[in-house]
Amino acid sequence: MFGRKKLAEPKEDKLFALTTAAVTLDTELGLKTAGVAAVAFKPQSSGEFRSAFDDVDKLIEAVAQSCGSTVERKSDEYGFDWIIVRDPDLEDLVTTVHALAGEMTAQGFGAQLLAATFRFDGGEHPVYWIYGFKRGAFWPFVPIEDQKRDNALELELKAKLESELPIEPDLTRWLALFDAPI
Amino acid sequence: MLLTGGLLGLLYVVFAVVLFSILNVGLAPMLIIVLGLAFFQYYTSDKLALAASGAKVVSREDAPALHDMVERLCAMADLPKPKVAIMDTPVPNAFATGRSPKHAAVCVTTGLWERLEPKEVEGVLAHELSHVANRDVLVMTIASFFAMLAALLTRFGLYAGMWGGGFGGGNNRNNNNGPPVWLIMLAVSIVVYAISFVLIRTISRYREYAADRGSALITGAPEYLMSALQKISSQMTLIPNRDLRQVEGMNAFFIVPAKLRTATAELFMDHPPLEKRLAALAAIAREMGRPVA
Repeated sequence: MFGRKKLAEPKEDKLFALTTAAVTLDTELGLKTAGVAAVAFKPQSSGEFRSAFDDVDKLIEAVAQSCGSTVERKSDEYGFDWIIVRDPDLEDLVTTVHALAGEMTAQGFGAQLLAATFRFDGGEHPVYWIYGFKRGAFWPFVPIEDQKRDNALELELKAKLESELPIEPDLTRWLALFDAPI
Repeated sequence: MLLTGGLLGLLYVVFAVVLFSILNVGLAPMLIIVLGLAFFQYYTSDKLALAASGAKVVSREDAPALHDMVERLCAMADLPKPKVAIMDTPVPNAFATGRSPKHAAVCVTTGLWERLEPKEVEGVLAHELSHVANRDVLVMTIASFFAMLAALLTRFGLYAGMWGGGFGGGNNRNNNNGPPVWLIMLAVSIVVYAISFVLIRTISRYREYAADRGSALITGAPEYLMSALQKISSQMTLIPNRDLRQVEGMNAFFIVPAKLRTATAELFMDHPPLEKRLAALAAIAREMGRPVA
């Protein structure tokens, strides 16, 4: 009614549910982590953001080193920056992503976070679990050729993991992330 | 939709109560106001619905295929051609509105046009044209008008009984003991309204069956309406194909909290459940000797 004063703050706390769901993904669907995850965020051009981001960078390096994972940065044609984390252990991936989101929020730039995406292999096509920071929920994304997605498999994933993963209930918000850099 | 409809009606009743008991408007002017509002709704229904949904009326040049289809179906149904409108949303849906076949409009969403086969769109359009032919806007306006009238009269009866019958000392007693009169009146009228609300929804559901049957008669092929209904209500059509980063510009995406669609009791639904509609259509198809999968 009064208009929005600011963007929604991120909800990163539900990220860890993915580590428990990974067991079901493996036993029931034969899907295993591809050892890679990525976080998309909208960079700001302000100096404030850049200096804050230096701190985030340092923290991420530290977390990544303690977990033994590698981190790189990329930007895409939509004007989003990606932080790509590689680690064979899913728990380490989630920990690094969570630390990144937490640090960005602490620096006051949590609203810039868009989504994190975790890749799983083992099926005919790679399966991505996208975590919307603003929604605090996961949704499945299975791209097939030609900017299309396998809706049937996505709904099956939802049905099988609903009990252990916070899944976005509104299907119209299951937006795609085509050509994610992972 | 259900909530909006219900709240709108409730507002209507509260408005009437305020006019009637607080401002002391008599029954006759009250009836005129209620009638006037009903007529306004009825006469502007096509423009109101189009404006409210944000649908745009399209010319033959803009959508030749859609216009051709509507014309063919109107010829089959012996109806004048209504205005044709398109609503730009990925959710497949359609609606018809207008007080009479001469002042009607049909609207399809871009999602319906893109996701359904032409034969299925035809089935949906024939369903909407059947609403026009059956004069469902008129039927529903009359139905809701009687509901309003019922609510009003109950309250009037109460008013007369409380104030007319128990005049003198009773008046003061009433004010001191128990809840105030206006509160009782409000409660009774809301209960009456709630009952009429359910009744109106029931009528609406039967109009839907009638329109399904009409669609089967116009197209001669109920199986396409059946597959269209299945597609429209399927969860798959809800999943968007757009990229998260594209939509990010529209910030609304982020802030509005998730609304869980809970199963509403059939009593309150204005459309019958899908299985029942499909079963009714399958029965029609068998009558017509059409193959049904």
